[in-house]
Amino acid sequence: MGDYAQFLLPLAKGLGMTALLCIISAVGGSIVGLLVGLARASSIGFIRWVSAIYTNLLRGIPLLIILLFTFFALPLLIPGAVFSKLACGAIALTLFVSAYIAEVVRGGLESVPRGQFEAAEALGMNYFLKFRYIIVPQAMRVVVPPWTGIILAMIKDSSLVSVIGFVDLTQAGKIIGTTTMLPLLTFVVVGAIYFVICYPLGKFGRWYEKRLTVSLGRPQAVDLGPASTDLLAEEPLLQVRGEK
Amino acid sequence: MISVKGLQKKYGNVEVLKSIDCEIKPSEVVCVIGPSGSGKSTFLRCLNLLETITAGSVVINGHDLGNSKLDRVLVRRDVGMVFQQFNLFPHMKVLDNVMIAPIKVAKKSREVTKEKALELLAKVGLSDKADVYPSSLSGGQQQRVAIARALAMDPTVMLFDEPTSALDPETVGDVLAVMKRLAGEGMTMVVVSHEMGFAREVADRVIFMDQGYIVEEGTPADIFDRPTQDRTKAFLSRVL
Repeated sequence: MGDYAQFLLPLAKGLGMTALLCIISAVGGSIVGLLVGLARASSIGFIRWVSAIYTNLLRGIPLLIILLFTFFALPLLIPGAVFSKLACGAIALTLFVSAYIAEVVRGGLESVPRGQFEAAEALGMNYFLKFRYIIVPQAMRVVVPPWTGIILAMIKDSSLVSVIGFVDLTQAGKIIGTTTMLPLLTFVVVGAIYFVICYPLGKFGRWYEKRLTVSLGRPQAVDLGPASTDLLAEEPLLQVRGEK
Repeated sequence: MISVKGLQKKYGNVEVLKSIDCEIKPSEVVCVIGPSGSGKSTFLRCLNLLETITAGSVVINGHDLGNSKLDRVLVRRDVGMVFQQFNLFPHMKVLDNVMIAPIKVAKKSREVTKEKALELLAKVGLSDKADVYPSSLSGGQQQRVAIARALAMDPTVMLFDEPTSALDPETVGDVLAVMKRLAGEGMTMVVVSHEMGFAREVADRVIFMDQGYIVEEGTPADIFDRPTQDRTKAFLSRVL
């Protein structure tokens, strides 16, 4: 056992890096995704158009390419700035995941009945109050389950950051596997660690979904089918009537 | 209080309101009747900016709704709206439904608002429902909460868009009773409704609309007992 103990520290470090990367990207991606999703539901055509390009472009490019692009292009785009590998990985994952979250947010906003917008407006609420207190809380019920799915996929996809030399959990596993000549055992351990992180998150998604359904009394059939997950899905976009 | 001149509303090429002229005085209760598609709901929605006005002018309490620099929030605080489908916020308890606008829009304190909200719920007969979610209420109860929610902003005008059309017959009476009481207290009300009995009993004035025009208006007795226009007669013969 003593032989294996020396590998615990690098593995733990890798895990810590993966966790840090994923937390930054999940938070960043969710914030950007929420904003882009709101933009996709804007009443201003130009904003809708720009946000649609953003989501469709990023969803059409493999994560690996986005990663390599941020790693090589970012220093060229912003001369003089130094980006750590963690920053590159986090930016790439944030961009990637925000595009998917934006689509889910858009679907969630579209699931809120028109009358809710009108009732909020009739009570004198401005754009911020309407979305903050009326629309977004109702959209959350629809957004959270697929959101957890996206974050889960992102945690697993984060293993790709090893290509830019960032020592995350996967990269740590690679190094240990090569050093010990026990790649199979190492990757079983690494895989188990990913599973232990991801499984509870999936459970959380189910629990949250149930809790919201209970508090709202009646489950509402919401179709997030092909229209909102299709890469080319453009229309119909939510129009906030009366807000110009 | 409300002055409408030459109001026109188009959706693309479809002219829903052709030319509406109408004056509504304080404390007046006006019922708007007419066949579906006559533009009565659109007319009502123009009064609180849920629809943009194509042409003509609407002035409410001195606010010209056609003015592009208009503060929508100020107008809407003055104008309460009750919808056919209630549109209560399903993620909030009844009390919070009533309290949200005064607190967040009018920036009133929680204590004052809560006291007022409980008073309003008592007024609509739903004191015991303050802590439940709207989904556990009947349609009539939900509509009465919606009325309380609109009243919480202290509006000077209340608009009702077919408030009883989505209700079970046995709950209609409770809602109409609340509206009748409100009228008795001197609230200015514009009611789009198919409830001819309510119009006859409570309205000061009845407006009959058809195909985007006001065809005829007058006291309930004028309209229901002595209609002068053929279209009014035809409509009334079908609904009465």
